[in-house]
Amino acid sequence: MNNLHIQKSAKNGLVFAVIIIFLALIGFTVTAASMIQKVFGVEVSVGTMPKYSALIAFLAFIGLWNGWRAAKQTEEHPLQAGHAILAGLASGFVTGLFALGYSLIVGTLQSNGVNVRVYLSSLSPESIIYFLFGQSPLSGGFIQLSLSTVSAAFGALLVIFWDRSQHQFLIWKQKLSAWGNASWPAKLRRNVFVGYIAMGVVLLLLVILPRTWGSYWNYVMGTVGIYVLLGIGLNIIVGYSGQLVLGYVAFFAIGAYSFALVTAPEPHNLNWNFWIAILVAVVASAISGVLIGLPILRLRGDYLAIVTLGFGEIIRILIKSDLLKEITLGPRGIRNIAGPTLFGKSFSSDSDFMYLIILAVLLSIFLARRWQESRIGRAWLAISQDETVAQATGVDTYKYKLLALAIGAAFAGLGGAIFASRNQFTGPEDHVLMVSINVLCLVIVGGMGSIPGVILGAFALKGLPEILRELESYRLLVFGALLVLMMIVRPEGLWPATRPKYEENSPPPVTVEGGSR
Amino acid sequence: MMMLDVQGINVYYGAIHALKGISFHLNEGEIVALIGANGAGKSTSLSAISRVISTRSGAIFYKGESIINTPPQDIVTRRIIQVPEGRRIFPRMSVVENLEMGAYIHNDRGKIEKNMEAMFARFPRLRERRKQLGGTLSGGEQQMLAIARGLMAEPELLLLDEPSMGLAPIIVEQIFDIIQDINQHGTSILLVEQNAQMALSIANRGYVLETGRVVLEGSADDLLDNPHVQEAYLGGGG
Repeated sequence: MNNLHIQKSAKNGLVFAVIIIFLALIGFTVTAASMIQKVFGVEVSVGTMPKYSALIAFLAFIGLWNGWRAAKQTEEHPLQAGHAILAGLASGFVTGLFALGYSLIVGTLQSNGVNVRVYLSSLSPESIIYFLFGQSPLSGGFIQLSLSTVSAAFGALLVIFWDRSQHQFLIWKQKLSAWGNASWPAKLRRNVFVGYIAMGVVLLLLVILPRTWGSYWNYVMGTVGIYVLLGIGLNIIVGYSGQLVLGYVAFFAIGAYSFALVTAPEPHNLNWNFWIAILVAVVASAISGVLIGLPILRLRGDYLAIVTLGFGEIIRILIKSDLLKEITLGPRGIRNIAGPTLFGKSFSSDSDFMYLIILAVLLSIFLARRWQESRIGRAWLAISQDETVAQATGVDTYKYKLLALAIGAAFAGLGGAIFASRNQFTGPEDHVLMVSINVLCLVIVGGMGSIPGVILGAFALKGLPEILRELESYRLLVFGALLVLMMIVRPEGLWPATRPKYEENSPPPVTVEGGSR
Repeated sequence: MMMLDVQGINVYYGAIHALKGISFHLNEGEIVALIGANGAGKSTSLSAISRVISTRSGAIFYKGESIINTPPQDIVTRRIIQVPEGRRIFPRMSVVENLEMGAYIHNDRGKIEKNMEAMFARFPRLRERRKQLGGTLSGGEQQMLAIARGLMAEPELLLLDEPSMGLAPIIVEQIFDIIQDINQHGTSILLVEQNAQMALSIANRGYVLETGRVVLEGSADDLLDNPHVQEAYLGGGG
């Protein structure tokens, strides 16, 4: 343990000081403490602060993490207990000093009657008092300092404990996996019926759940389902054929609008049947995919991304414009879009839509898999890895890229039509750039080229924000942090693609064994 | 018999005039070498033949028929196969999958497997590495895989772009032995090389390219003896 180590620990402490002060400035400490209190079953009444114990719990958690990181930084093998605790103490103390300084500044400003809320809207007087544990700035700051130092020391202790017991963990893990490979879990894994039963259970759940979990969850899960549909479509373009298309929302918009225009009473009063209209939407999107692809698919990489990005915006602005007002009703959007009917009866309750979406998703998964495993899929794979060489091996790259775009667009059109029908409304603001970005994000977060990845990604990106609603205005902050964390922990995506093996069943026969050198 | 006849082709990259009316030909069964420095237009000439890049003017005849308007994928079905420079294999496909990709234009499963077996006999290293991803092979193995992938399409004319690039001398010797062997089994070869010594030692005839023009042509032996070639490409008068 030398000066360098102390310096490292101090730097670590500085990072955590920035984190704590930032969280305090935006008032997140209060929200986090409220959540902790709620987890323990004690409601926080409106207009009051949560208990101080909840704040201590939150700060202690950050402190533990602080000490953990500081002790890990010593990178000693074997770890010396004294050094680890010293590193933790140093780091926690530095963080605490900054917290003390912050407390003094903010507390003094407050007691001098300065309204800091003018500059920082989240920093209410109550939250400042709360951060100081209801004490004077000096003693509140010292509570912060000691809390930070002590919890960081405990964090370092955790590292020591972890370091000492790692060997034991390893033995347990080996025992567990040996048991798993020998005993009944292995048999279960090898039995084909288990797969069928699991699939049956999933299908049964898909049938039962929409009936039981109420309209709110049907709405949320329906949105997730539509995004799964979009993700699978974009995955064909970006994941399989490797073309970075950023204006995917254009096809979503074309699907939604072509569906809306042929079913809504205004502006054209066509009132077509739902199923025919769906077909129209899908075909219209696919055709638009081909038409757009014809000129732009000669571009590669960044250029393609930028041109398609522009294209997505052009469609939205066209829809909104006065130029097409007669046809699309401009910014007003189209109302009273028809819901589905089945054998003459209305089929448009929340759960009905959920079923429709589930059906569409299952169909798209089936189709996407079929295409991926075909000759077309092989061509896409080649194009995505090296377009020039794909061409040199006889792949008509232009044709297959167009095909990918058309299929992806068709899926987006289906999603758009269902989306418009479910909301009974569609307007230009449904088709903003963020939709494209979201879909691309879910494909990347899930794992490029992987269908289970797309489904997980859609849940993560569209379901998680709903679950995080509790966090109110900090939702996006936490969501962003989670996304960053996900990409650090699993850079290949949540469920990375494993390509189907074509040759698994019939490897080329090895006949000449001794003949070659 | 004249197999390939290139007549005065011009290629532009934007404003840059890369090929300035180049003409050369290749007879059936020959190895013809195109040699020259960086940027002389050697690779561009190959890409023009495989139609991956388009020519502004000039004519290309293959077995007496013009192929100037044939799209690249149809060039492949006419058994003109390009092996691009820089060991361009599919990095995230296994060796077997790379070879299958080479036979993309064929649909006959039995024939593909027979050809693959022939490739493994010719390149035993590839058999050992058949399940490995292309990107994890060594440089020499990748070059062998690139050539093997080209051969999977059963070429009548093989366009080889810088097969010696970035490889150790001993591997280069091996690769050139293989090229000669492929030629002896009836495949005509158009070889683009910076390594003039190596290329001319196995070629029947050669063309020297400088800044988009053919400046010299002749039999490989004549070119090896030519003082200009010796000075510019064979490391001085010696």
